[in-house]
Amino acid sequence: MPEVRSGGPVPYVYVCTRMRYRKSKLIPKEDYYRMLNMSIPEITRIIEETQYKKEIDELSPFFHGADLLEHALSWNLAKEFQNVQQITPGVLKSFVRSYLRKWDIQNVLGILRGKAQGMKQGKIREVLVPAGELDRIFLDRLLKEDSPERILEALRGKSVYPVIAAGYAAALEKESFSDIENELYKDYYLDLLAVAGGGLKGGKQFLEFIVLDIDIMNIRNIFRLRRERLHQDARALMIPGGSFAPDEFQDLIDLEDDREFIDALKKKIKVRLKPLLLLLDEMGAGKSIREIEIDLIRIQLGQMELLTKLKPFSIHPILTYLEKKKYEIFNLRALARGKEAELPTDRIRGYLVI
Amino acid sequence: MLLQTDVAVQVAEASQGGMKALAAAIAVGSTGIATGIAETAIGSAAVGATAENKDVFGLVLLLTVIPETIVIFGLVVALLMLF
Repeated sequence: MPEVRSGGPVPYVYVCTRMRYRKSKLIPKEDYYRMLNMSIPEITRIIEETQYKKEIDELSPFFHGADLLEHALSWNLAKEFQNVQQITPGVLKSFVRSYLRKWDIQNVLGILRGKAQGMKQGKIREVLVPAGELDRIFLDRLLKEDSPERILEALRGKSVYPVIAAGYAAALEKESFSDIENELYKDYYLDLLAVAGGGLKGGKQFLEFIVLDIDIMNIRNIFRLRRERLHQDARALMIPGGSFAPDEFQDLIDLEDDREFIDALKKKIKVRLKPLLLLLDEMGAGKSIREIEIDLIRIQLGQMELLTKLKPFSIHPILTYLEKKKYEIFNLRALARGKEAELPTDRIRGYLVI
Repeated sequence: MLLQTDVAVQVAEASQGGMKALAAAIAVGSTGIATGIAETAIGSAAVGATAENKDVFGLVLLLTVIPETIVIFGLVVALLMLF
């Protein structure tokens, strides 16, 4: 597809209109409540009437039940994200492309972890979403490689290669890829910050989104680390570029008293993250870490929606749509797997981001 | 003396006609540019909406041509000035 090169608002208006339309087609909250009381075949039938029809029709001869849903959702997500990349013109494409690199990290780590645990190729393929730089053919090639060295060699020349190559031997020795994962995400966010600050038109709005993403991720990590009470130096786990300095991050984790921690965190949060302040006020209600994480995602999506309304023709409507689409897939997966495991309705509802 | 007055009247009339033509040109030209600017955003949004859903083509076509009224106003003003 030829790249549209134009100054002015034309590319923004065009692509933002398309994203707004697609966002309006996402599954509404009421439908999730209806689906909570349905069986897997009924859920499949309902979503077959939406934009997932093609994938379900194609995959129904090979899979059924929750597996059919899982595969169809992954295919649809990858197809949708690649399509958004294709239709996004001009500088917006470079923003979207760098943002979608997150999926490369997830896919490569999925393959490395799956291989290390001796999982079957088909099982690993289920979790892959080829929405980034690494396409399905390349990921299939990686899946076919047997030895860790050959996987590393196949990744040469890709953006994730330098970080993986630096920590690969240590990770294989420790049989844990968590250090590589941390480094990959840090590198990813540094790259995003560099793209946003590279002087491209609309970079300022992109930066707003990245800082919000980094802040939410760091806050989530603070909650997790506090819950685990590991009392170790966690500064290396912080993602730089957000509102926290490494020492502040560590101090927040080290605070023993929960009330003191909430007060200290409130002081650090900017006024625009008002819903987060409300969440922190409710923290005394004894929420579980999963509930807090879901609440943080809701807050992030709410903030993104707000930014979309403030700047209707910017990168925000595109990224908001991509994030909302991602969580639609997460919700449907949670529904399918929850139903398969015969979990109670209230428990499944707790996993939904709605 | 009479000849001189005639020439002056003719020059004034010609100048008046020229100014009218110039004013008409400005009226049509500037409203044409304004229409173009207004249609830029509407047109690109219309193409985006039609790409997602072909059924809205008729509606977005109507919305796209609404700024045409600006250039029609300019044309009417120009015609009123000229005739």
